[in-house]
Amino acid sequence: MPSEENLSADVVIVGSGVAGSSIANELARAGISVIVLEAGPRVDRQHFVENFRNLENKPSYQGPFPAVPWARHPPDQQTPNDYLHTTGPNAEAYQQVYLRMMGGTTWHWAGCAWRYLPSDFELKTRYGQGRDWALTYDDLEPFYYQAEVMMGVCGPDPAVEDLGSPRKQPYPMDALPISYAAQQFRKLIQEKTPWRVVHEPQARNTRPYDSRPTCEGHNNCMPICPIGAMYNGSYSVYHAEAAGAKFIPNAVVYKIERDSANKRVTAVQYFDPDKGSHRVTGKYFVIAAHCIETAKLLLLSADEQSPDGVANSSGHVGRNMMDHTGVQVTFISGDQALWPGRGPLETNVIDNFRDGNWRTDRGAYLVHMVDDNQVDLATQLAISKGYVGRELEEQIRYLASHTVRLFSHNEALPDPNNRLTLSKDHKDILGIPHPEVYYKLPEYTVRSCEHTRYVFRDLIKLMHGTDEQWTPGYFPQDHPAGSTIMGTDPKDSVVDGHCRTHDHDNLFIASSSVFSTVGTGNITLTVAALALRVADTLKKELAHA
Amino acid sequence: MRQTHKGQPVAEWCASPNAMRLNKLLRMSRRDVLLGGIGLSVASTTGAVLAADTAPATPNNEDLSGFMQVSQRLTDRDTLNPQIGAALYANIVHANADRKDKLNALHALLEREKFTTASAFAHAAEKSDPKLKDVIHEILTGWYRGIADGKVVVYRSALMFDITKDAVYPKTYATGGPFYWTSKPPEVARPKGHPALSASALVIEPT
Repeated sequence: MPSEENLSADVVIVGSGVAGSSIANELARAGISVIVLEAGPRVDRQHFVENFRNLENKPSYQGPFPAVPWARHPPDQQTPNDYLHTTGPNAEAYQQVYLRMMGGTTWHWAGCAWRYLPSDFELKTRYGQGRDWALTYDDLEPFYYQAEVMMGVCGPDPAVEDLGSPRKQPYPMDALPISYAAQQFRKLIQEKTPWRVVHEPQARNTRPYDSRPTCEGHNNCMPICPIGAMYNGSYSVYHAEAAGAKFIPNAVVYKIERDSANKRVTAVQYFDPDKGSHRVTGKYFVIAAHCIETAKLLLLSADEQSPDGVANSSGHVGRNMMDHTGVQVTFISGDQALWPGRGPLETNVIDNFRDGNWRTDRGAYLVHMVDDNQVDLATQLAISKGYVGRELEEQIRYLASHTVRLFSHNEALPDPNNRLTLSKDHKDILGIPHPEVYYKLPEYTVRSCEHTRYVFRDLIKLMHGTDEQWTPGYFPQDHPAGSTIMGTDPKDSVVDGHCRTHDHDNLFIASSSVFSTVGTGNITLTVAALALRVADTLKKELAHA
Repeated sequence: MRQTHKGQPVAEWCASPNAMRLNKLLRMSRRDVLLGGIGLSVASTTGAVLAADTAPATPNNEDLSGFMQVSQRLTDRDTLNPQIGAALYANIVHANADRKDKLNALHALLEREKFTTASAFAHAAEKSDPKLKDVIHEILTGWYRGIADGKVVVYRSALMFDITKDAVYPKTYATGGPFYWTSKPPEVARPKGHPALSASALVIEPT
């Protein structure tokens, strides 16, 4: 693309994931001109599917999505990592993975489409912990529904199974029938514990929807749904393009320009892969570049006017890093064969620990019984135990049909000391510093994880489990949040309740980076709902401009 | 995007690692590869591309026949796919310089003792030379997981899927029809067999 080309639009969006692409779609459909700048390349689904099939380490979610040199992303969750550098007492617990490509990280999510609970938005008021958001559940409810319709979310009838987030409309699609394994698990929990197993709301088709097919149960939601039955951001990209939005891949934004008063953003600048620089002007700007890359870009744009970075008069850009920290155990059930891995990956949840008065003391969490095909793991295990021939085949069948995996999402709290900064030691080929994150688990989260371990031990006992393998320590769930935190006070927050930056009138942020708390449900639906609310604000303001 | 990056053709830097390897492979004499490397043609029939930076050497018939006999005994199976066998053999030998000798040693032991079970064969092999355990693991990993030399040689045709096909599908290849997963899968009795080899540590790769 020639650098002299005049690139300008009413709204310029940085990032083409679920947040950026859904805003682009809404605006383009309203006749507003939109340019979306995506740092990574554009790749079609079939390439990722073939990459997966040829991948030796099948559980690697990043494996099928090789990064390009000008838009690196973390290669895996290993610490140390050659892109996302984590430090601090719990460095390994913040080794997040994400994707920099057209469509964003939802290429490899599991489609879990939770609404947050009303209490998640009022943690400080209700439980004296963390912060309150600068909006309420009721403010977001219509946009949650809009996001569910956009993605195509299936879920249970609230009259039958109330998930705790009040709904004005039913789910767009009926709940996904759960697998035989999940049915048995639900029965056990119902009969032997005070808890319950609910249908997980999922952005997955239980009937043909939005020109995409019904789920066929390939059991590969992560890393890649082979048939597009699960929503990902690329579908919003296609819709937005059809409505007239312009998407530019391999456009690495590195600078946010402001006017002389430092009140309004005037342009962004991006590098192409050969470091040619381009400038894009607009009336409004939305940074929708993932929690980590969004904060990185704001910090990277520091200059004389904003020595600590753009939108950072509070000093909170890059602080308050949160995640759903995970506890995970794999064991062999002593009961009947379950054969996990038939159907989608994540369909059922124990939701009893998502809220309660104990949140004054410890974080909430939810528990997944993962429905993951365990044949490959069973084979590795049986070979390592020394079996061969007929005995090996018997072992593989037994282990594959009896392996159970549980994991949790445990709530973090915003702590300003948990902080993202620009690496002083590592730069990419464009000269842009890598992100670095210091992380120490809040005690609130540690206590939550301890509680989870007690519950898991009970469950293992109930299933007459043996051969427990606990994933060591704490592990990241790839749900980073908080790096441009929302609040009413510009002194201690970066954006207001409409995701507008306190410092710059025409700069919005659409990302989990604005979350004030992280709750327990997967973050994507809330990211989409907030993004659609940003689109709504922009439509109104541009109509009156 | 049409431009090239650092002199690389667009197809290479925009593509996946596998496509990049394939591109390199196709730039070799395509005819030589297709005629000379049986293993390579196997890959295309199974949906897997043999990911070889340098194509492993073609085995001679005697070596391959020995490998197949050893493989049949270690899997307790009378028939195994010879094309997959050729690809596995080439990759196992490519991965380690001493594997040809170790495989010959296994074959010689099998010829000598005429074992009737995999367990008896594997047990005797480890007793005769503890290092043979690694080769046996590689052979089993090849046939059951479809992996050799750190590469996917076959995916859907790996034996681990053959022995579980009444219950589950290889990921991305489900054909059970709508909501097949709600039905009851087969029960599996607790196995009574014993390990033939000493146990090894299982190293799980990072996600």
